Amino acid sequence: MGKTALRQTLPYVVGLIISGILYHYAQQIDYTPRQGDLGPDFWPKVTIGVMALICLIEIGRRLIGVGQETHGIAETFEKEEEEEVAEKHPWMLGGGIVLVLTYAVVVTTLGFLLSTFIFLVSFMYLGRYRNHLAIWLTATGITLGAALLFMRLAYVSLPRGAPPFDAFTDFIRLIIGA
Amino acid sequence: MSDVLILLGHGFLNCFTVSHMLMLLLGIVVGLLVGVLPGLTLVMGVALTLPFTYHMDVTASIVLLTAMYVSGTYGGAFTAILFKIPGEPIDVPMLWDGYTMGRKGKPAKALGWTLVAALGGGLLSAVIMVLLTQPLAHFALRFSTPEYFAVLVFGLSSVVALGSGSLANALISLCVGILIASVGTDETYGAYRFTFGSPILADGIEFLVVMVGAYGIGEVLSRLETGFSTRPIEKISNARTELPSWREISALKWMFARASVLGNIIGIIPGAGATIASFVSYGMESQFGKRRAEMGTGIAEGIVAPQAAATASVGGALVPLLALGIPGSGATAIILGAFMLHGIQPGPQVMMTSAPIVYTVFASVFVGLALMCVVGYFAIRPLVKILDLPEAVVSAYVMTLCFVGALSIRNSVTDLWLMIGFGVIGYLFERFKFPVAPLVLGVILGPLTEAAFMNSMISFGNDWTVFFTRPISGFVMVCTAIILALPFLQRTLSGRKAVPATEGQAPGA
Repeated sequence: MGKTALRQTLPYVVGLIISGILYHYAQQIDYTPRQGDLGPDFWPKVTIGVMALICLIEIGRRLIGVGQETHGIAETFEKEEEEEVAEKHPWMLGGGIVLVLTYAVVVTTLGFLLSTFIFLVSFMYLGRYRNHLAIWLTATGITLGAALLFMRLAYVSLPRGAPPFDAFTDFIRLIIGA
Repeated sequence: MSDVLILLGHGFLNCFTVSHMLMLLLGIVVGLLVGVLPGLTLVMGVALTLPFTYHMDVTASIVLLTAMYVSGTYGGAFTAILFKIPGEPIDVPMLWDGYTMGRKGKPAKALGWTLVAALGGGLLSAVIMVLLTQPLAHFALRFSTPEYFAVLVFGLSSVVALGSGSLANALISLCVGILIASVGTDETYGAYRFTFGSPILADGIEFLVVMVGAYGIGEVLSRLETGFSTRPIEKISNARTELPSWREISALKWMFARASVLGNIIGIIPGAGATIASFVSYGMESQFGKRRAEMGTGIAEGIVAPQAAATASVGGALVPLLALGIPGSGATAIILGAFMLHGIQPGPQVMMTSAPIVYTVFASVFVGLALMCVVGYFAIRPLVKILDLPEAVVSAYVMTLCFVGALSIRNSVTDLWLMIGFGVIGYLFERFKFPVAPLVLGVILGPLTEAAFMNSMISFGNDWTVFFTRPISGFVMVCTAIILALPFLQRTLSGRKAVPATEGQAPGA
């Protein structure tokens, strides 16, 4: 059994562990049982059972090396394409996730407009775009455009921010007449 | 029949109002742009447009979203033919003959065939849609919960069996989707499931949060990992469309009809969408077409088959949505959401209670197809010019729309957190080759399937044989078994074919 086989089983092992955890929570679903009722836990338990079964089959198949993988019908019609292997940039991916999480943390404090503006500028720099003027102008344009579209035209309720940052939102709203 | 024509006539009159025509034009242009941009998928585009429709009139919002859905199946062909960049997964088959025809010095002709195929397939499918929806809605009035359950199981099975990639991974993805949909207050018993004490989770997880996260954030993260390293675009100064002659078109009339009907049927199957239609139609032409030996060498059949089927699937997908209230694809699920936001529940009753709205949407599909071709014909150069925009800028804009989409659903930051979570899940799914489409369909169809199952069990005293003994549900369940058996059958057959081939080879060859 090589390292590759073990690595290939990893997603299914994770799937199996998640199934176990979810089954534990499904057993804790609180309701008053009546005779003949399947109960609210029946449907999730069946789904979890199916998921766990598939994971077990895949783990067994990969470890023992028995049976072939079955593919969907559309795969028959796909032609073999030379796949271009793109270079991976894990630091960019990590940076992107951190930026998105930071956005979610600060959006209620800074408000939608200010946090979106900061996010846009940071994201474009992270994406290796280096036209400084274009970055700042685009970020300003998208933020003002979003304010106009969502606050003035579509009336979507977006976070205003906490003091003193709400003043920025109010200022922009004043400019666009929202 | 005459009442259908009268209603459709009224639908056309209603469609030609200034506001509806503006929405139609806007939807067509945005749909084409979404199709052209490789980082933005059709479903994502329709999902991100939904927040704009909250304060619109119901007809205008459905017209806008449907127009995007129609033109989104066409826009991606431009970049596939000109630059070998499929804007959508739908357009991958376009690389095999469309791009090859372009490389042979006939890109304008390839674009012309695409336009004609989209128009022909779309129009034929729209006619079938108008003729089929009302009878199906009437027929569906006979449906009880076992029939609905059977149809929904068929839809869930077809998204797994008809897709590409590992069947096991697709099934796991579907189960994850169904489990996500089970979070919240159970409809039948009123019990809390997987809420972990959070009040917002007690209301359940909105499918839009999952869709925007998995398709939007997940896709941007995947592209970010590759450093936004899209191939540089060649300068195309003479991008134009050259329509094929009437003689050329009529030589392929049966092929047109075959691809369009196939696309329509695949569209009707809940769960199977434009991508599957495009691949299956190309595959059918490669195996049974007159010029099957020449497929892949840049022939018109290789362009018409996938494009006609993809656009035809739109009309097909609208049929179960309107007649049964079952969305057949991600895009129709969002259209269903738009209907429900305005207090209209599509289903057998909608043809009686909201017929003017339904027929205006039907009319808008016809007008939209014509408008799409006019815009596609004249505006191809500015449309492909959008590819000059740096990917970092486009992705930053997509992210902003994702944030707005999440924040606007319930005005809650929890939805933003959930969307980011599903974005990471979407990225991981793509990374480990688990398809996202079954997950999304599971989230959408899961609650409907569970409700139909539970109500059937309550009504029929927990007798599960009811799904097999009632004629309609029994027939649909047999179809489900067949569709699930197809991948295994195909594997066995391809295994048998491969054995003589290897036996015939010289040792060591």
